[in-house]
Amino acid sequence: MKKFLIRILMAAALLFVLNWIYTKWFFKKDVAEHSDILELVWQVEADSCRIVYLGESSNNTHGPEEPGQKKISEYLAEYFPNVKTGDMTKEASHAQTYYYLLKNIHRKSTVETVVVTMNLRSFDARWIYSNLETPLRKQLVLMEDYPPFMNRFLLALKAYPIRSEEELDSLTRQHWREDPLVFPYEFEWDNVYKWDSATAWRGLHNYEGEYDPKWTELACHYIKSYGFQIRDDNPRLKDFDDIVALSRKRGWHLVFNLMAENVDKANEYVGKDLMYLMKQNHDYLLNRYGNLEGVTVVDNLNLVRDVDFIDQDWTTEHYYEDGRRIIAGHVAEALKAYYPNEYRNVVWKCDAGHYYFGDEVSKLDAATPYGPALTLPGDSLRADWERVNVAFMMQQADTLHDTKLAVESLVANDNVLVFYLDVKPQIQKIGEWDFATFDLPVDSVMREAQQVKIFVFNPSDDAVQLKNMDVSFRPAYLKPGVKGQSMK
Amino acid sequence: MVFNSIEFLIFLPIVVLLFYVLPQKLRWVMLLAASCTFYMWFVPKYILILLVTIIIDFSAGVLMEKYADRAKLKKTFLVISIVSTLMVLMIFKYLNFLTANLSLLCAQLGIERRWVTDIILPIGLSFHTFQSMSYVIEVYRGHQKAERHFGYYSLYVMFFPQLVTGPIERPGNLLRQLHEKKEFQYENISKGMRLIIYGFFIKMVVADHLGAYVDKVYADPSSFNSWSVMLAMAFYSFQIYCDFFGYSTIALGAAKLMGFDISDNFRTPYLAKSIAEFWHRWHISLSTWFRDYVYIPLGGSRVKFGRWAFNILVVFVLSGIWHGANWTFLFWGFAHGLLHILEKALRNRFPEKEMKSKWLSVSLDALRIAKTFVLVTLFWVMFRATDFANMKDMFVAAVTNFGGGESLGVKPEIWLYLGLFILSDLLLFNTRFDAWCDNKPIVLRWFIYGLLIFMTVACSSVNSFPFIYFQF
Repeated sequence: MKKFLIRILMAAALLFVLNWIYTKWFFKKDVAEHSDILELVWQVEADSCRIVYLGESSNNTHGPEEPGQKKISEYLAEYFPNVKTGDMTKEASHAQTYYYLLKNIHRKSTVETVVVTMNLRSFDARWIYSNLETPLRKQLVLMEDYPPFMNRFLLALKAYPIRSEEELDSLTRQHWREDPLVFPYEFEWDNVYKWDSATAWRGLHNYEGEYDPKWTELACHYIKSYGFQIRDDNPRLKDFDDIVALSRKRGWHLVFNLMAENVDKANEYVGKDLMYLMKQNHDYLLNRYGNLEGVTVVDNLNLVRDVDFIDQDWTTEHYYEDGRRIIAGHVAEALKAYYPNEYRNVVWKCDAGHYYFGDEVSKLDAATPYGPALTLPGDSLRADWERVNVAFMMQQADTLHDTKLAVESLVANDNVLVFYLDVKPQIQKIGEWDFATFDLPVDSVMREAQQVKIFVFNPSDDAVQLKNMDVSFRPAYLKPGVKGQSMK
Repeated sequence: MVFNSIEFLIFLPIVVLLFYVLPQKLRWVMLLAASCTFYMWFVPKYILILLVTIIIDFSAGVLMEKYADRAKLKKTFLVISIVSTLMVLMIFKYLNFLTANLSLLCAQLGIERRWVTDIILPIGLSFHTFQSMSYVIEVYRGHQKAERHFGYYSLYVMFFPQLVTGPIERPGNLLRQLHEKKEFQYENISKGMRLIIYGFFIKMVVADHLGAYVDKVYADPSSFNSWSVMLAMAFYSFQIYCDFFGYSTIALGAAKLMGFDISDNFRTPYLAKSIAEFWHRWHISLSTWFRDYVYIPLGGSRVKFGRWAFNILVVFVLSGIWHGANWTFLFWGFAHGLLHILEKALRNRFPEKEMKSKWLSVSLDALRIAKTFVLVTLFWVMFRATDFANMKDMFVAAVTNFGGGESLGVKPEIWLYLGLFILSDLLLFNTRFDAWCDNKPIVLRWFIYGLLIFMTVACSSVNSFPFIYFQF
């Protein structure tokens, strides 16, 4: 027995040494290969971030040709220029992923505030049993609380749920069949499976009474996405509870960012019954977390309109720039309580046709070519506005850049008409701020456009800096406005 | 439950601990419960199928012994037992194959009749069936006393270390040991652990890394150049060896922890100088099963050449079809049998002469080993291919794609893992890892343990490759 005990001690010492060797020389390579989300944590720590935004694809998805392609977290950062803000973004992630990311933040890190995306659809069976879950869970194994050597062994042993497509599908369907739908009024179906099947079977008919397959398909899709009721045993709740407990332990300000859903489409395709469920789930989350000490829930659910959703025929939380800005602004409002002196409003301010952006500096180059864009619906241009004056401050390091002012009009059939004006002739100084101003007519194209967008962009490698952008619409009788002049 | 899972690594120490803590009279209960748990971890309901064969074969054993003096009746019990056991195997393993081929035949003949069955093969059924059959045959032959204790008999056919993919045990070895009282011995723990560590290394590091390469090439052979295809063929030889040898070694180790010695299944098969020798070194428990229960009853080698050749073909075709219900397996078995016969015919025609020069003798042996390896490797293509078309694609790509197709690179570390395995296999020629370690200095031994543990943990594949023999 003595020999046996000695060997156990030797084995323990051996494992200790092996763990040290692995951690020193092999762990980083494995993280890069199998768990790159851990690198997000390391990046946040390396950047000494004070605010961390955790999100899924809603954070970094943008329209294909949008001028502003920043993440929600980047727009958020603009409100707090002196507070280092970082993000941890991983597609298809959810509360459990965020919990693992957060618990891996070093105790001595500079993080003070965490903004955690709360996605309503992530509570649904289809997301819980998504086929993206296995690769996501695989990524989390190296982030377990054990020594890295042990975590690597767990990864080798596939110590994470591996489910086949058939299994996942069957589990989802089982939930759709077995989770009851309870309404305070009489409702024809008592679970989503029946509701979906009946909708598909009966089909939806347009105003002319014809069967509309596209509408039917979308309605079924919306029913399956939002037709659920969050109950106390929903696994996501435990993960959010864990995040609350962890944040309290670490002394972080915690903000749950309840993402906007396309309620316009949900209402249009399905109607009040689905809206009821969405609202009920929304209320449940607000009641559960909104009253907790140290937790703020930012309620964006109804904030973004249909036009600002990128995926029009699918339920996602992918927003165009305006949608992302709206959410960032809403979160910033909540964070203002924690950083009252650091907060700066960077949104376009409107004052009787005078839009101004403020003195937030934007760097424009090939990587981030677009400056702040003013977007207006064409029908918001007043009939007496005949001219538009665009003014801004710019600093150039040399004259090799190719900066232009663009006025983009979205016209019928999604066609875009753009005209450019070269900015360089107006900027004389090098290495100093200089002033540029342009006076343009408000023509019929702009008036008839669905949307007008005015922005500065620089696609070249030679960077320029831009601030104090002002856009003033005015009647013909007024002289062109210049910066600092009141347009009232 | 699979060996390379966290569940098994928790399960095994608990079972071993309970085994030594419990009194002898309760050990079989615990081991049987553990074995049932192990098996039911896959699909619980399949245990009922095993239960059916257990009841039939246990009863047959008792009845054969009871009516030992009535030869006809005894034989009837044997036949009932074997037929019913084989029937279970036939239904679960071969019915899909039979109906599919029958439907195909009908279609060829213009008969509009189609049968579709979709029966899932319970894991390990082929191994379980053969182990069960070896018991009833041994009792019939009078080599083994019938087991009167249903629990011990059940444990014999359900013993978890070798339940799913063997080795196929004989009652004379395992059943006897199950009755013996096993004392805690450091040596058993030490040897068991060595085998488990080595088994994990060859499965998780060598086999699984090679598997990724092999799967990629077999999925679409024509898109790779000849070198990559040939490399995939060679890699598969090592993948299947390391996979099965790894499992068997872990099984040996797990049993050894409790003091049980189960049979070796491999003895450096790729150092065989002929196909006949290969089968003495590869999947030994299956080869000896066929030898004892099919080949010898058919007359073995003490018959004329023609009859012997027939016996060999029967054994190999049965061995092929045992592996899987697919024409490719049958073809694989037939090819092995044919080559075996050819080798013997050539040996009869050109008897081997003793070489005077040692170097010449060694060189000739090396050539024979290489020849056997190449042939076995080519035959593995039939075994691995999903169907004849896939097999043909592999062979065609191997000989025609020299100029075109993608060259699939091999990561340098995979060569390192394979090299280490080949070195270890050469060192373990005609011995076993636990025995080989015995006479090594403690520092070297612990260095090897450290290296194997480190590689198993840090270098193992993270992709999921189930044990190949699970499908049989």
